Amino acid sequence: MSLLVITVGLFSLGLYGVLTRRDLVAILASIEVMLGSATLLLVGLAAVGTPMGSHEGAVEATGVMVIVLAAAEAAVGLALVISVARRFKTTRVDELTEVKG
Amino acid sequence: MTLESVVFAILGVVAVSGGVVTVFARDVSRMAMGLGAFLVAVAGFFVYWGATFLGVVQLFVYIGGVLVLMIFAIMLVHRSPDGSPLLETRHDVAALAVAGGLFFLVVASLLDVVPDSVDQGIASGPAELNEAFLGPMLTHFEMGGVLLLAVLVAVVVILGGDER
Repeated sequence: MSLLVITVGLFSLGLYGVLTRRDLVAILASIEVMLGSATLLLVGLAAVGTPMGSHEGAVEATGVMVIVLAAAEAAVGLALVISVARRFKTTRVDELTEVKG
Repeated sequence: MTLESVVFAILGVVAVSGGVVTVFARDVSRMAMGLGAFLVAVAGFFVYWGATFLGVVQLFVYIGGVLVLMIFAIMLVHRSPDGSPLLETRHDVAALAVAGGLFFLVVASLLDVVPDSVDQGIASGPAELNEAFLGPMLTHFEMGGVLLLAVLVAVVVILGGDER
C-alpha cells in the first residue's frame, strides 16, 4: 500500500510537472521523476512478493534496461534542449512556436 | 515500529520531498539538487530491497551521468544576469485533475494486487543478472547496446548540425 502510494504519487507529481512547467530543462527533470518512480514500482513489486519476484535476475535485468533507456532519453533530450537554446535563444516552451527546422 | 519500516519511511520522505522540490522549485540549481535527492532515495530503495547491484547502477548512471549532464545543460542554457527566478510554473486545475485522476485510477486498480509490505526482498545478485542477460534476455541486452550506439550518433548529429 505504502509502496504503491509513494511510487504512483511520485509518478503523478512528475506528470503534473511535465504539464505545468514552462522550461524545457525543468520538463526533462520532471520526466526523470516519472521514469524513476516507474522503475521504483517495477523493482518494488518484485520485492514485496508479487509473482514478478519469482523470476530470478529478470527483475534486476529489466531495471537495468529501464535505467539504460532513461539515460539514453536524457542524453538525446538534453542535446535537443541545447540545440533549441542555441537556435532560438530560449528554452521557454511558450516562446517556441515554430515547428519548422 | 521496526528498523526496516523506519528506513522505508525515511527513504519515502526523501524521495517525495526531492520530487516536490524538482517539480516546484523556481531556482534551477535547487531543482537539480531536488532531483539528486530523489535519485539517491531511489538508489536507497533498491539497496533496501536487496537489489544492491541495481542501486549501484542507479548511482553511477543517474547521479554520475544524467544529473551531471543536466547540470551541464543548465550551465550552458540558463544565464540570468539579474538573478531573477528562472523557472516558471503555470499551475493549472486541469493538470492537477489529470495527475490526481491518474493517481487515484492506478492506486485503485492495483490496490488488490500489491500486498501490504510483506517484504521478501530480491534474492538475485549479479550472477543471476548475468544469467538473465546472457540467457532469456539476450535480445534486450543486444538491443540496449544498439540503442546506446544510436543515441551516441544522434547526439553528435543534433549538436553538430548547427555548426555546419
